[in-house]
Amino acid sequence: MVGFRRRSKSDIFFDSLIGIFMVIFVIVTLYPILNTLAVSFNDGIDSVRGGIYLLPRMFTLKNYQTVFHNQNLIQAAFISVSRTVIGTALQVFLTAMLAYVLSRKDYLFKKQLSFFYVLTMYVGGGMIPVYVLMKYLHLTNNFLVYILPGLISAFNMIVIRTFMNGLPDSLVESAKIDGAGDFRIFIQIILPLCKPVLATVALFVAVDQWNAWFDAMLYNSASPSLTTLQYELMKVLSASTQQGSSGTIDMVKNAGNMVTPKSLRAAITIVTALPIVCLYPFLQRYFVSGLTIGGVKE
Amino acid sequence: MELEVKNINPNPEIKTKNNLMKNMKKQKTLILMSIPFVIYTFIFNYTPLVGWLMAFQKFKPAKSLFDQTWCGIDQFKILFSDPNFIKVIRNTLCMSLINLTLGFICSIGFALLLNEVRLMFAKKFVQTISYLPHFLSWIIVTGIVADVLSPETGIINQILVGLHIISQPINFFADTKYFWGIVGLTNVWKEVGWGSIIYLAAITSINPDLYEAAEIDGAGRFKKMLHVTLPGIKSTIFILLIMNIGNIVNAGFEVQYLLGNGLVQDVSQTIDIFVLKYGISLNNYSLATAAGIFKSVISVTLIYIANRFAKSAGEERLF
Amino acid sequence: MRKSKLIVSMLLAGTLAVSLLTGCGGSSQETSASSDGKIKEFSAFFATAGKELPDNNRLKNVIAEKIGAKINEQWLTGQTAKERIGVMIAGGEYPDIIDGGDGTQALVDAGALIPLEDKIDKYPNIKNFLTPTQWEKLRKEDGHIYFIQQFGQIRNKDTQVQHNDEAFWIQKAVLEWANYPKITTIDQYFDLIEKYKAANPQVNGQPTIGFEVLSDDWRYFCLENPPQFLAGYPNDGKAIIDKSTLTAKNYNTIPEAQKYFKKLNDEYNKGIIDQETFTASYDQYTSKLSTGRVLGMVDQHWEFLTAENSLKQQHLDERTWVPLGLTIDPNVKAQYRAKPAFNAGGGIGISKSCKDVDGALKAINDLLSPDVLTLRYWGEKDKDYKVDDKGLFYRTDEQRENARNQDWVNANMCMYTYLPQYTAGYLDDGINTILPEQQQTEFEATLTDSDKKVLNAYGFKNWTEFLNQVPEENEPWYPIYSACSTWSADQPEQMAMQKMDDIKKQWLPKVIMVKPNEFDSTWNQYQTTLITQADVKAYEDALTKEVKRRVEKFGKGN
Repeated sequence: MVGFRRRSKSDIFFDSLIGIFMVIFVIVTLYPILNTLAVSFNDGIDSVRGGIYLLPRMFTLKNYQTVFHNQNLIQAAFISVSRTVIGTALQVFLTAMLAYVLSRKDYLFKKQLSFFYVLTMYVGGGMIPVYVLMKYLHLTNNFLVYILPGLISAFNMIVIRTFMNGLPDSLVESAKIDGAGDFRIFIQIILPLCKPVLATVALFVAVDQWNAWFDAMLYNSASPSLTTLQYELMKVLSASTQQGSSGTIDMVKNAGNMVTPKSLRAAITIVTALPIVCLYPFLQRYFVSGLTIGGVKE
Repeated sequence: MELEVKNINPNPEIKTKNNLMKNMKKQKTLILMSIPFVIYTFIFNYTPLVGWLMAFQKFKPAKSLFDQTWCGIDQFKILFSDPNFIKVIRNTLCMSLINLTLGFICSIGFALLLNEVRLMFAKKFVQTISYLPHFLSWIIVTGIVADVLSPETGIINQILVGLHIISQPINFFADTKYFWGIVGLTNVWKEVGWGSIIYLAAITSINPDLYEAAEIDGAGRFKKMLHVTLPGIKSTIFILLIMNIGNIVNAGFEVQYLLGNGLVQDVSQTIDIFVLKYGISLNNYSLATAAGIFKSVISVTLIYIANRFAKSAGEERLF
Repeated sequence: MRKSKLIVSMLLAGTLAVSLLTGCGGSSQETSASSDGKIKEFSAFFATAGKELPDNNRLKNVIAEKIGAKINEQWLTGQTAKERIGVMIAGGEYPDIIDGGDGTQALVDAGALIPLEDKIDKYPNIKNFLTPTQWEKLRKEDGHIYFIQQFGQIRNKDTQVQHNDEAFWIQKAVLEWANYPKITTIDQYFDLIEKYKAANPQVNGQPTIGFEVLSDDWRYFCLENPPQFLAGYPNDGKAIIDKSTLTAKNYNTIPEAQKYFKKLNDEYNKGIIDQETFTASYDQYTSKLSTGRVLGMVDQHWEFLTAENSLKQQHLDERTWVPLGLTIDPNVKAQYRAKPAFNAGGGIGISKSCKDVDGALKAINDLLSPDVLTLRYWGEKDKDYKVDDKGLFYRTDEQRENARNQDWVNANMCMYTYLPQYTAGYLDDGINTILPEQQQTEFEATLTDSDKKVLNAYGFKNWTEFLNQVPEENEPWYPIYSACSTWSADQPEQMAMQKMDDIKKQWLPKVIMVKPNEFDSTWNQYQTTLITQADVKAYEDALTKEVKRRVEKFGKGN
């Protein structure tokens, strides 16, 4: 039985230090977030003046209205959610599978394949060769361009593999003795134990998918039905910037209720970040020790 | 007396070849599982490398890749003869090293400290807040940084002058000596929470028995953190370290571009900014590709060295 | 076994979903519906930031009914023009109508644009849109005309009321305080600012800033190009051209440049120039201007429209600015205003992907007819404007309110802002301007009391009268800056231009910020750096060559 130990003086000191640090940390971190929130609720022209801190000075919902007042919004949201869900599920599963293969210590081609993958993180052909490749594979104007190209990320694979390396060898060995094949071992034994790292990778991938707009612009801008939420928001943001004298006829002079890039950007940030912030608590519960779940003790 | 083990096999070649086939058969599933991945990665990651040929040509987008005029390593010569390029490499490396060091210490430190917070509610709250800055775009963040450091209205200057540490406000962006520090601190602030997520996940895989054992040995909270938690995530730390060392040449673009100005441009421009200015903006894709190849070569060399080092130190390594 | 089944079935479901989604939205854009009676649709891309109009925009559909065509506009997002065009060329597919911006030359080189010279005769509005000389300017060396420059045309008479370009600006409040003096030189200008600042150290509770210079990134041209204006030259942008010898000279080394920056150095050390001005971002600049405490700046008007709007919103109209055309020497004639520049380096082209070239050209042609011009800018009769018994167009207060409302404009007005249009001028009836804001009645409705006071004090009818009269014709080489967009990466002048930019960005702030007694030595260092690190001669030679070429080809006339 684990008895309870009285908190020693050094423990209390330690705890208080941590407490103070965390409070400072929260203030320094929270302030810019609250500031962005305030700017997002502030009138565009007024926010240009600066001087807004924690509360809006001239409250308005205009920025959010501009964001949501978009004919493509529902379709864009649908595409964004689809690519996030499908992309994340596929990516996590496949990356984990590859990580498993490369975590087997006696795998013949482990060294070569690992290098093969690590290399992909540091070399690249550039935007134009990749574009030409996508075109060649008929992935332009195609939903699959959101899923297929990024299926295996070497970085995520290595993170998962590192985690798998930390699992005791006895697990796999005893399963093999029982006659299980590698694929079964992967699915039934290893995968369930990797919940924390899978949740982490899922978070990374989901955020990337959710925030992605460059691929929508590059490959699918000719297909309005394949637009993503972020791309639509990007377009709205671009439209509010002033780039030169030629388009000034368009710029409504003496406009009363203009949105400016500053306030619009703030609103877009909040709208984009909110779903992720809501998603996170669901993933948090996976951050528990996989070992205690499995009940395996060395 | 030592025993000599002689190789009594008359035909060693055939034996090893047979061994190979036998082993491959044993690992049939693993090999089958790998093949689709290899094909996939080859198509999506390696075929675009054909584009590297652009670096050896005077590339014009209109014509096909094989229809261009070749110019050998001229682009590389132009790159290395430009005094700005050397400066730019220096800037990139220095800022990367600062970011790397600060980032690692802070992310790991934060993960360790957060793990020690005992109030569940506080822990979750702080963690959620910590990664929010990751979602702010650099434009917003640099705007805030510029405001905070402004000589006239910024809070930092007001505090410093108020406490009589300085007599006149400092324009932090007019002097080259502050720039790298500003970039480093801004980077840390934005990414420390997000970066700590991996470490927090790794911490959960530490065997709880180790904590019990340490407790029995009389270790307090701080000692446990230092001697159980920290070593427990050692492999994660090493792997991330190696991978990030490879990324040193990618110090970034947005932060330096947004915070830089004419007065500090000698220290603010990174390789990526240089490529944008002298490559893409001038439609000089060849130069841009040449710089890209240069970066890749540096990266691969660095991780190879780092990996070797990790191997000899007995730590987790990439390959 | 159950778990594997679960995973496999999830994978199958995922694949199914993916294939469903792949099904939707695979086809690329329609170029144009073919059969008559239906409204044709064309796709257009402009390599600049802009607003997409919703499909149900009222006037877009009204115009579509009238001319039988709709043009769906797409704008640049998230990339530079050159990057975007580069990718388009690599992919080989283009929208029907395209303005490549900086990347236009790349499009021409790639053979993406259709030659237009044979087709123009069929479309009178397009043909008459430009003068024969202008059409010649657009003709490339291979004899073809690939695009139509859509800006800078005036129809019948110049009716501009605002100065959109560069000038030295000064607050209305300052002019009023000094009882509306005549300011023509830099010395007078700064003199007035100094006096006002000394008498009014604060504006609305915050310290007064005498002078602000925008230096952020690509917007920094107002830091470096005043010397050309101060020496009495127009906005050739990249050099000053000597009329008699027809040579181009960069304006960074002329004596006026030294005088001007010495003056700025003085003012900086006197505390007149904001000490943050060289490190402030565009947002910070706008923010400072919006507080109403910046007495003057040198800038192009469109850069601070947002700040003006903010001041108006705060009812601080007297803190907005009027333009001044300053020189160093009072005997030199200022040329801040010119006839709108004709930039032959870019424009609207029809791409080779367009399946109905004649339809596209006809649509553009129709958009230039007076009736459709009215629809584009004034709107529908009675709904958007009224006509009085003399035939003059005017707007009611409500209609004016609508025109100022961003949302309303987005849903109702369709100006086709990047297709051929007129910067100023009259409709064919000779009494109504094409653009509502230039109509006298509408213009006067925008004036506040402080505006009227200032205009009356000087006897001006509109803001352009603060500056020089527009010359009848521009020089044949004007604007020389359009030559630079045709340069390619392997030409030494291109590299020289980029290098000069970098050097100026670094040295000009330095030169201004050093102590007065260090100015001369620092200035000499700057000049030496400029000459040694950038191939200035190659730059000037290339421009001189272009000047001579333009004079030879286009002689007199614009």
